Amino acid sequence: MDLNEKELIANLKSVEKREKAFQLLVKTYQERLYWHIRKIVMNHDDADDILQNVYIKVWRNVDGFREDSSIFTWLFRIATNESLTHLQKQRRHSVISMNEITDSLAESLETDVYFEGSEIEKKLQLAIIQLPDKQRIVFNMKYFDEMKYEEMSEILNTSVGALKASFHFAVKKIEDFLKEDLK
Amino acid sequence: MYRKEMKEKDKNIEHQFGNPKIEPPFRVPEGYFETFADRLKARIEEEEHHVIKRSVFFYLKPVLSMAASIALIILLVNAPIRKFLSPEKVDLAVQQSNNDSSGSNNSISEDLLSYLSEDQFLSAVTDMDNLEPRTLSADNLAHYIAADYNDYEIITEN
Repeated sequence: MDLNEKELIANLKSVEKREKAFQLLVKTYQERLYWHIRKIVMNHDDADDILQNVYIKVWRNVDGFREDSSIFTWLFRIATNESLTHLQKQRRHSVISMNEITDSLAESLETDVYFEGSEIEKKLQLAIIQLPDKQRIVFNMKYFDEMKYEEMSEILNTSVGALKASFHFAVKKIEDFLKEDLK
Repeated sequence: MYRKEMKEKDKNIEHQFGNPKIEPPFRVPEGYFETFADRLKARIEEEEHHVIKRSVFFYLKPVLSMAASIALIILLVNAPIRKFLSPEKVDLAVQQSNNDSSGSNNSISEDLLSYLSEDQFLSAVTDMDNLEPRTLSADNLAHYIAADYNDYEIITEN
C-alpha cells in the first residue's frame, strides 16, 4: 500500500475529509470497476445499478475496512460479489433453467444497444457467456484486464493454482464453442 | 507437463483471437462516467433521507398504534351504548334532569321514587286496604288540596 493510498484511506475514515476523499475514490476507480461488472452481467443498466451499490457499500462500511489489502482489491472484491449476487438473484427469482439464463444473457447481448463489436467479437462474447459465472470472471480478468494471478487470487479469494486451472478450462471451452460455431 | 500444456494453450489464444489485448466491444451512454459521481451522490443523499424518515416513524409507530387501538375500542363500545339509549330517551332524561323541583309533578314523583325502595313502595300499595281509615276531616281535606299532593305522596304519607 503506497503513501497516497494510506492517505486516501485515512481521509475516508475522517468525518471532515470523507466526502472529498470519496469523490476521489469514485473518479479513480469508476471506469475500471464498471467494465469489470459489465463483463459479468453484460447489461449496461444492471452494471450501472451494481456499480452504484458497490460505492454505497463502500460509503457505509469504510470504517470497517481492515486495510489488510489494497483499496483497489477491496473495491474489486465487493464489485465481484455484488455481480455474482445479482446473477444468483436472477436465477432465484425466475423459474427458468440454467441454460435459459445463459440464453437470456445471450439475448441481452444481441439486443444491447451499447454493443458495438464486430461479428467475431460477438461470437467471442457469446462463447464467454456459456462459461460458469466464476470461470467467466477469471477469464475476463486475465484476458481483458491482464491482471496477475496473485492479484486475482486476493480479489477472488482463490488460490493461484485454482485460478490458472480455471483459466485453462475457460479457454478450452471457448475454443470448442467457436469451433462448433464454425461448422 | 500440465503447465507446459497450459502455456501452449495461452499462446493459442493469441493466435486464435488475434491481439489478446482486445477491448470488450461494449460502449456506455454518452457522458456516463462524467455524471456518475453526481448521480451516485444524489442516490446516497436520498437513501439517507429515507433512513431518517423511517427511524422517526419507527419510534412513533407504537404510540400511533396504541392511540388507534384506544380510539377503536371507544368506537366499538360507544356505538352500541348510544343505540341502546335511543335519542328520545336520552333527550327526555336530559330534560327531566334540568327541570326545577317545583315544576312538573312527574319530576317530584320520580324524586320520591328514588328515595323509596321497591319493597317500601309495594308494601305501601298493598297495605292500602289494611290501612286504618283515617278520619277525613275538613281540615285534612283542605290541607291535602292546598298541598297539591300527588298519589305517591298520599300513599307514602304516614
